[in-house]
Amino acid sequence: MLKIKEASAQHWALRLVGVGVIAFLVLWIPTQMATSRIGQVSDAFVLIIAAMSLNLVLGFTGQISIGHSAFFGIGGYTAAILVKDYGWSPGYTFYVAPVIAFVVGCLIALPALRIKGVYLALVTLAVAVLFPTLVKWKKLAWLTGGAKGIDSARYDELPVWPILGELKGRDGRAVFAYWLAFIVLVITYLVCRGIVKSRFGRSLVAIRDNETAAAVMGVNLTTTKVLVFGISAALCSLAGVLSTLRTGVVTPEGQYVTLLGSIVFLLIMIVGGAGTLWGPIVGGLIYVWLDSATRGFGTNSDGIIGFLFGWADQSPATLILGVGLVIIMFAAPYGLVGLIKRLVAKVLVIVPKPLGDSHLAIGNTVPDTDSRV
Amino acid sequence: MKRKTYRAIALAVVGSLAIAACGGDDGESSSDTSSEATNAPGDTSAPDDTDAADGEAWAVNTDDCVDPAAANAPIEGTIKIGSAMPLSGGVAAAAFAPVKGGFEAYVKYANEKKLLGDITIEVAIEDDQYNKDLTPAAVDKLLDAGTHVFSGIIGTPNNLAVRDLLNEECYPQLLALTGSIGWGDAENYPWTTGVLIPYDVEVKAYATAIQRDFPEGVDVGVFVVNSEFGQEYLTTIESIAADYGLNIVDEQTIEATDSAPPTAQVNSIAAKQPPVILAVPLGAGCATFLAEVANAKAANPGWEPRVYITATCASSLILGLAGDAANGLYTSNNLVDVLDPEIAALPAVAEYLAFMEGQGLTDIITTGGAGWHTAEMTVAILVKALESGELTRASIMNAARSFEAVGMLTRPGVTMKMSGLSDQYIAQSLQIVQYDATTKLFTDIGDLITDYES
Amino acid sequence: MERFFQYIFDGLSFGAIYALLALGLVVVFRGTGHLNFAQGEMAMFCTFLVWQYDAWGVPLILAVVLGTVTGFLFGAGVEVSLIRGVAKKSEAGVFVVSIALFLGLNSLAAMIWGNLPPEQMPSLFPDEPNDFVRIFGAVWRYEYIGVLVVALVLMGLLFLLFAKTKFGLAMRSVASNPESARLVGIPTGLVLASSWGIAAAMGALSGTLWGGIVGELTAGLMFTVFIYAAASATLGGFDSPGGAVVAGLSIGVGEQLAAGYFPGWIGQELKLAVALLTIFVVLLFKPAGLFGTSKVERV
Repeated sequence: MLKIKEASAQHWALRLVGVGVIAFLVLWIPTQMATSRIGQVSDAFVLIIAAMSLNLVLGFTGQISIGHSAFFGIGGYTAAILVKDYGWSPGYTFYVAPVIAFVVGCLIALPALRIKGVYLALVTLAVAVLFPTLVKWKKLAWLTGGAKGIDSARYDELPVWPILGELKGRDGRAVFAYWLAFIVLVITYLVCRGIVKSRFGRSLVAIRDNETAAAVMGVNLTTTKVLVFGISAALCSLAGVLSTLRTGVVTPEGQYVTLLGSIVFLLIMIVGGAGTLWGPIVGGLIYVWLDSATRGFGTNSDGIIGFLFGWADQSPATLILGVGLVIIMFAAPYGLVGLIKRLVAKVLVIVPKPLGDSHLAIGNTVPDTDSRV
Repeated sequence: MKRKTYRAIALAVVGSLAIAACGGDDGESSSDTSSEATNAPGDTSAPDDTDAADGEAWAVNTDDCVDPAAANAPIEGTIKIGSAMPLSGGVAAAAFAPVKGGFEAYVKYANEKKLLGDITIEVAIEDDQYNKDLTPAAVDKLLDAGTHVFSGIIGTPNNLAVRDLLNEECYPQLLALTGSIGWGDAENYPWTTGVLIPYDVEVKAYATAIQRDFPEGVDVGVFVVNSEFGQEYLTTIESIAADYGLNIVDEQTIEATDSAPPTAQVNSIAAKQPPVILAVPLGAGCATFLAEVANAKAANPGWEPRVYITATCASSLILGLAGDAANGLYTSNNLVDVLDPEIAALPAVAEYLAFMEGQGLTDIITTGGAGWHTAEMTVAILVKALESGELTRASIMNAARSFEAVGMLTRPGVTMKMSGLSDQYIAQSLQIVQYDATTKLFTDIGDLITDYES
Repeated sequence: MERFFQYIFDGLSFGAIYALLALGLVVVFRGTGHLNFAQGEMAMFCTFLVWQYDAWGVPLILAVVLGTVTGFLFGAGVEVSLIRGVAKKSEAGVFVVSIALFLGLNSLAAMIWGNLPPEQMPSLFPDEPNDFVRIFGAVWRYEYIGVLVVALVLMGLLFLLFAKTKFGLAMRSVASNPESARLVGIPTGLVLASSWGIAAAMGALSGTLWGGIVGELTAGLMFTVFIYAAASATLGGFDSPGGAVVAGLSIGVGEQLAAGYFPGWIGQELKLAVALLTIFVVLLFKPAGLFGTSKVERV
């Protein structure tokens, strides 16, 4: 077992290697991989952003939300309406959507303050169910396009970013979508990190661990909870904007704006590791990989899979996904990041600096995953 | 096993089965009265004043393609057809998974018959779970694998999600398996066409039939599923009702995900006692709806409404479930019912049945028929393109838009045709039929309707 | 007035189904403190099993009994094999496992029974178009009456089980304090497994009754019903079986009235939305539901 002191030369070298590997991957994907893979990673980024936003509320503050698909939808619809009906350039919708989602998020959080646990789960579930119902409503169809939704809301012409060179056609769009999603992802990560490592972030964790105690210690429960819910909603709406700009289509039945979307975000967050900054990233990549890898199963009936599932009326993709989730939860009840950390800890230990240094690594301790579903 | 019982009674190949359930698009109904400049000038609307009626004159413009050379490059050896369909993940997959089997079976058939000479046809169908967010990824994957032509993508939002991309890249997006009116827009989306009877044509056919029976005008109750599919029908019904003397007395909806029987909805309609009901339920909901109508009739003696139901329900697989409740309803189709013994004896249909049996696909001869038909039309387009000279993506699109064929499963008298800007919908002839619950067969009512062809 | 009674009758029968499924949620919550998201899908799967037994030639009543027993064993098995291990370590893990169950069962049902046509569920009660009775001018179908009666009887039996049997006592003690329950010799594991089993059995029965009303079985059979059931459990109070019953019946009746009397503004499209909003408002004043007890927290 290797022991390294925190902030020592070796520690910095290790960090540098980590950053180098990530930077290499980030650059390697859009330049070397097939267009469809680039698209898949961008799709994963979108889900990761949504899961990260949820992590703020559930992972760090302990307030369950099964309603984030609604904020995803608010983002998606804001983008589509502004682009299609008002002729906005898609880029500007990134500024408007979070504002709207923030306001709506705060409005929902205010009455939800008194409600806890399963009741909060159900109230937020109601939000997820209400959103598609409302956008589908005939009386709002003038704005939302009703049941058929809105289409062709995407970049007609890709904006020119000198650093990317000339982007043309499908490959160009994929590369552009990748970088756009990457930038939003980095911003979301930085916002989450900034919050978590701040005084505000510590009050969130205090609320999660014991609400009453937090209040006694001087945390303003109302402001803190409402604010964090609003911020989370705003971040989630960014994912919605990205999703709309990718396909150009929003419909009330689109998977991520319905209850199913909320569930997917939750799965990603928990599977990756609730209450860790890297959890959603790991979870999102694993989820998209698992989902796309299993999807064609059984439909091309040959080999062992054909033998196993040839009898089935439908593809076993979702069943395999479910089994995969159970296995992950048994192997890593605190999420994959927790598992990775424990495995790494067997080989390598970072000895922390003596206490007194203000550097309290809240997000990086082995997570105390308690989310009271 | 369970399905065998139904195999025995199953009857209709209805091209549209539940596939039509994918409707919905911009395109207000392209009724005779409305035609927005930007919208699809459906050929049921006033034809363009230009002389584009001559199909031969229409040719796709490849100048704006991302890669014009590739769009005009000859395809040799193997042509790859790609599609995205729901094969897993929920109710949609149940209805559509057999389409894949039928589609692939025809491609096999075409290769065995060497319909494209030395060129082999390959087909790859990705699963998008009926989720439009997954369709671009599926299409991307297929494009990376060298797909030349897309055909039979299921679902309106799914097709919309890749329409811009495929038009920009100049890949034919042939025969989208949805009846949305938006697929006839050659000016803005020259590379995209549909395969089903547009919903507005279907609704107008019903309206005409109703008007014939009730020349003085009549009260109509409307029941639709509250999804893009149902809403598109509803919009059309509302926009043409006055022209055909239909007085809509009640509009009721049901959520697509709601399994509850529409008791309250049907009671509400029954309270108004309309002599006619126009219904657009979905999948299993068709049978549930019909059972409720039967209940309401029993509770309201003397009320004997004529029920016109979407072609989506017009499969005996579905109607058989409703039993007597389905007796006497009206619907429409443009493909044959392969379980009708007389039809099954027709040489082309017999060949279809024999081939499907040879592939071990007997259990999907009805539901897979739509896939077979779509693949058949796709290959027919490819054959025509090959005949015109070189087989290129552009020549395929030109062939598609100047095309006439009769399929193995099309009704006698129906031709599938498209012609430049003047005829952008491949299927516009249809037959009103009435269902007989005792024989589980459909009877033709009136003549084949070809009024909507241009 | 005739319309009014019609809405009440239909609402009561639908509400009875919501209440029955909601009771399953309550039983699991009281026993283990978990919200079982797979409750609806477990019910759906068991309903398919009932159909399958019937299709194999087992008489319908027996098929229902068999299906309920299978449901009980399945529910208990799930608790022992999947839930218990994860629950010790992580609450969130239980959520993931129940969602995985939801997805898996849905997919499995579609794999086995997914092809068209949908399987046709036989009804336990006469359900021909003429099988109804008029009360105050409103139509009450025998099938709907049957469903309501059976559901009410089941609920009564469940109350007896909770209130009058040793097992019920054991359940309550495990729910209130598992540690001390174990110390006084109550087999907590068995009790927990049984509460999942009972919930699944209740699900199987509610699914069977619902399937009979609907007629056609699909993998989506219980999806909306589950949302209504969850709403009922919330409104009534998650630890109150009586609350779930009252709430389920009121939601059933309320949605019929709302949709029926305000067709333009609420109608079928927004009836679920209105139900959920109402619950939201109620929770503002009673954060633990109408009949639930708020937990006292220790600092």
